[in-house]
Amino acid sequence: MCGIAGRILNSTGSVGRDLVDLMEAQRHRGADSTGFAIYGPPVEEGFIVRAMGLNRDALSNDLEDFLAILRDNGSDFLADPTTDDAKTTHVSVRMLIKEPGSLEAWSKQADTMCDRIEIQSVGKSLEIIKDLGGAAEVADKHGLRDFVGTHGLGHARLATESEVSPTASHPFWARPFADVAIVHNGQITDYYTWRDRLERKGYQFMTYNDSELIAVWISDRMSQGMTQGEALKRSITDIDGVFTYLISDMTSMGFAKDRFAIKPLVAAEVGGEMAVATEEQAVRMLYANEVDINNYDGPSLTKTWDIGEVRKAA
Amino acid sequence: MSEVTVSVGSRPIREVNREIQAALGAGHKVNVVDTRSRHNLGIGLPDGAKISFEGSVGYYCGGLNNGAEIDIERNAGWSVGEAMAKGKITVGGYSGMAVGASMRGGLIHVKGDAGPRCGVAMKGGDVIVEGKIGYLSGFMAHAGRIIALGGADGACGDSLWGGEVWVGGPIESLGVDSKVVEPTPEEIAEVEALLASVGINDTSHDWQKIVSAQQLWHFESRDASSWLMI
Repeated sequence: MCGIAGRILNSTGSVGRDLVDLMEAQRHRGADSTGFAIYGPPVEEGFIVRAMGLNRDALSNDLEDFLAILRDNGSDFLADPTTDDAKTTHVSVRMLIKEPGSLEAWSKQADTMCDRIEIQSVGKSLEIIKDLGGAAEVADKHGLRDFVGTHGLGHARLATESEVSPTASHPFWARPFADVAIVHNGQITDYYTWRDRLERKGYQFMTYNDSELIAVWISDRMSQGMTQGEALKRSITDIDGVFTYLISDMTSMGFAKDRFAIKPLVAAEVGGEMAVATEEQAVRMLYANEVDINNYDGPSLTKTWDIGEVRKAA
Repeated sequence: MSEVTVSVGSRPIREVNREIQAALGAGHKVNVVDTRSRHNLGIGLPDGAKISFEGSVGYYCGGLNNGAEIDIERNAGWSVGEAMAKGKITVGGYSGMAVGASMRGGLIHVKGDAGPRCGVAMKGGDVIVEGKIGYLSGFMAHAGRIIALGGADGACGDSLWGGEVWVGGPIESLGVDSKVVEPTPEEIAEVEALLASVGINDTSHDWQKIVSAQQLWHFESRDASSWLMI
């Protein structure tokens, strides 16, 4: 199963609350973990880093090592990192960092300590927050309903082929591309073939979740100069399996659906705003009255939506 | 027959369905409002019952129908009328994936388009779609009849075991092990009579009747590659 959702607002607004509503309505599709990728007001300087500390008790020591790697790469903390105050062993960390000389070189070096602190997102605007439990539980723990922004993604996970852990859940950041995130519903059947191929090219996988492959595959295609739309189309013939996934960056959001067309997706576009989800009843959480629904039921489909503010300015 | 209104909103579906069954059991006609595309509405409804849904419904509406007349005002989600035995379901708009999956009898009438796998594994009954039927429609059907007035997407009638798919518009492509045959005037008259029973009186269709080519009835593993659809 798994359930996915996306939301685009016309201007900065309560996108966190909307995404929690969309995911709460799909909790029956998987509640072992829930995650969100939220695009808030962009920072002018540096990047927002979202990371997960794997051992809360060792966090201050681990952050020192993390900072040393940042400084190696011409970066630094721009403010003291903040954390959630839960009792869990894993801890969600938010940092503001000075732009490193090379995002790719820094993230690669930082990933050498991913067994202590795993980077979950880097961006001017993007923040990935994911954790164990259903939408309401994760939202309460991380204050997600209070997040403001222009757009975002949500994911409810029913793990079928890899472990349940806070880091193995969605969304996935398409490292090292700032502000690019994916959520996925489905199974990638040529996962190991692609994983081997991409690892030989130097990519590092953080998990054994087949959905992470889409993020890494997207990074590889983007590094070859493909646009989001081109990569979406190409994925349908490149990747085997049954999948519907959403990808987002700062200016657009898109989806691709495989050749067998078995993972649902519906969208409503109302007054320049957009809600997309696995199930129509989730979209109807935001639009209780009847609205026109686009059912993306067919095979081999892709589509890209512009983000509201971009569309408004155009 | 007096009418009872049942409101769905955010209530538990089990509670809503109990209320529907109780009202129908007491001999009332039921009108369901504030449906919000919720799933599993009106399952296993009894013979002779009359029920209407305002707006759109989610997955599996009218599943296991035992003879009720079900009217859905707008769109239906996946598998409307799944495994129904008897009765009639009308969908005013679009009907999602797998309309009438595994149905054994009765009639489903979709006024808009239908999604992929329309009539998948059906064992009897009729599906009428005024628009187009989606990808892989009729997939592995054993018996029954799908009638699409507006054409068919790719892989139409794929792995059809038995039954018939009638298409009155363009067919993007045929699925494996299906073939187009010439319908007899008697068969056409029967289809047109069925259409007339739901108010469709246009007799100008240039029908393509698709049936099983029956090669997969005797599957040989050495032939497997010729059955790959992708």
